Amino acid sequence: MLESILSILITGAMISALYALIAIGFTMIFGVGGVLNLAHGALIMAGAYAFMVLNREIVWESVALPQIVVFPLAVGIVAVLSYGLYVGLVRHIEDNPVITFLATVVLATAVTEIAIATFGDQPYSYTVISGSIGLAGTAVSYNDLAGFVVSWIAIGVLWYYITQTDGGRSILAASMSERGARLTGVDLHSVQTRTWLIAGVLAGVAGVFLGGNQAATPLMWLNPLALAFIIVVIGGIGSIKGSIVAAYLIGYTETLTVSVLGQSFRGILSLIILLGVLFLLPQGLYGREFVHE
Amino acid sequence: MSEDVHRLGTLRSTVQQTILGPSGRVVARALTPIDRALQPGANHFNRLFGRYVGDVTGLQLGVLLVSLVALVAAPAWAPLLAGNYMRTLTLACIWAIFAMGWDIQSGYTGYISFGHSVLSAAAGYTTALLVVNVSPDLGLVVTIPMSILAALVVGLLIGLPSLRLSGPYFSLVTFVSVLLFYRLTIGFSETLGGENGFQAVEVFTWDFTVRYYYMLVPMLLIAVALTFVARSNVGMVLVAIRENERAVAAAGLNPTKFKLWSFALSSITMGIGGVLLAHFGGNVDPATFVVVDRSIEMIAMAVIGGMSSVLGPIGGAFLFVLLRDEVLRLWFGHSTRWLVLWFLVLLVLVFARNGLFRWFWHTVGSIGGDRE
Repeated sequence: MLESILSILITGAMISALYALIAIGFTMIFGVGGVLNLAHGALIMAGAYAFMVLNREIVWESVALPQIVVFPLAVGIVAVLSYGLYVGLVRHIEDNPVITFLATVVLATAVTEIAIATFGDQPYSYTVISGSIGLAGTAVSYNDLAGFVVSWIAIGVLWYYITQTDGGRSILAASMSERGARLTGVDLHSVQTRTWLIAGVLAGVAGVFLGGNQAATPLMWLNPLALAFIIVVIGGIGSIKGSIVAAYLIGYTETLTVSVLGQSFRGILSLIILLGVLFLLPQGLYGREFVHE
Repeated sequence: MSEDVHRLGTLRSTVQQTILGPSGRVVARALTPIDRALQPGANHFNRLFGRYVGDVTGLQLGVLLVSLVALVAAPAWAPLLAGNYMRTLTLACIWAIFAMGWDIQSGYTGYISFGHSVLSAAAGYTTALLVVNVSPDLGLVVTIPMSILAALVVGLLIGLPSLRLSGPYFSLVTFVSVLLFYRLTIGFSETLGGENGFQAVEVFTWDFTVRYYYMLVPMLLIAVALTFVARSNVGMVLVAIRENERAVAAAGLNPTKFKLWSFALSSITMGIGGVLLAHFGGNVDPATFVVVDRSIEMIAMAVIGGMSSVLGPIGGAFLFVLLRDEVLRLWFGHSTRWLVLWFLVLLVLVFARNGLFRWFWHTVGSIGGDRE
């Protein structure tokens, strides 16, 4: 009994850490630009595929890049893709939220087709770091452990950046009030650029470890996107703190559901929690009221 | 940021002035006599129905009549083309119903739903469950109303809590409702058939021509009914909600009530479409009904045709399905066609936000100069 509780605690913590990364990127983009980026899941998928391709020596037959090189490279690629998404598409349409919604979701669907056309629809499994370790009687793969550690490092760095540096504080300011930020001399364009790059990095990190945990498949964008939705709504759209708290809530709920009810019920309980939160706290745990200026 | 938009604008206006403008004027001049000739007919039409479905010009009436005749006479010309056009057109009719159903709720009120495939799935699954669990001999008289009712109930279940939420929250919840339905079909695979679904639903008929009319007639009836609603005061309130919900509330109308009405109307339409789709191929499974892609497809159809109109989604649905199943399949292979198709949809979204068919309709309407 105690052992299974410990096991749930440990597995839940591992997966929740990745969920937090996904949700933070999603919520930051919404906070700053008011853009719901439904292609966020596609960025996560891009991270997994980029890592897999670089790692599998598909590009350079004989050159096997070490993981320590491949990892930042894959994350960098996703960051650039994320920025490209903003410059190439979102910037032209962000004045109309409905079109932004639809365009990003259509883009995500198109990315699925690109993945199918390039890699076929079979899953590619890989690990970032192979092997596993026994923690209190639970086998934890180094992949998940590394994901957990890297996630908290990333969150720590982000926290420092947002609260302690001018660059980060301008992001925070822009997400609180665009007009106010503009009046105090914040360069909104640069804020947007940095936000999309940060969201890309977080999505890339999450994608690499998520792919290592499960596998890289053409439909892997869907679940993270849904999770990001659920977490962000529960935590409150635009709130980073809320995202982290809600990510752990959902991560543990999922782990509990899977271990008690079975794999096929994964996610159902989280959705019910979501409905409950919407009824009782429509603004989420830490949400500000959604206002248009 | 504004520079780029500006540059895009200059490019667009250059193209407009040098290519589109002059050639458009030539076409317009050629079409003006036809417009004149049809004007008496249009006047008659406007006197009879204008109050309910809006006024048309001579040429618009002509376009309507030609498309109607082309649709009704499809069995005569479709076999002449290479490909399986009868099946594709039949499918397009069903999807046009879905696109219209989505549009009367999301397009008109601006509350974008990503979850409409759940409503059609509710109808399809009800039909299948009735046939499998109750009795295969239940007539259509029983199963069809029950299925549409199921779609309505599910629609109210989703709409009642979620329509109190503002824009993005509503979209997120509807998106999640699709995933929830999908998870339920997998989680309760013994009752809901799991990944393979059911194959037990009886197909209306295997005669391609007759089956086509089974789908075409409901589509046309729904189009007329929805046009009537959209042109009535209710439709105007829905558009007003999209433009400024607070103003609607300030005018003493309850926006939530109207949103709920539009959701109910949309659910019924989706229910009819779902029943037709179930009886089209005889199989009810998550891939045909539930998965998110189905919702995105009906949105894409409505958007490329023109949101918040009734003819737009129909045109969009036919364009989308014809491109997907015939034209692009011929040119690109089975998998690349999706990529090309989504890219085209993206282009329309960015460059022709108001939709192709709406633009076409207004252009046709402006030929022949101003009236009155």
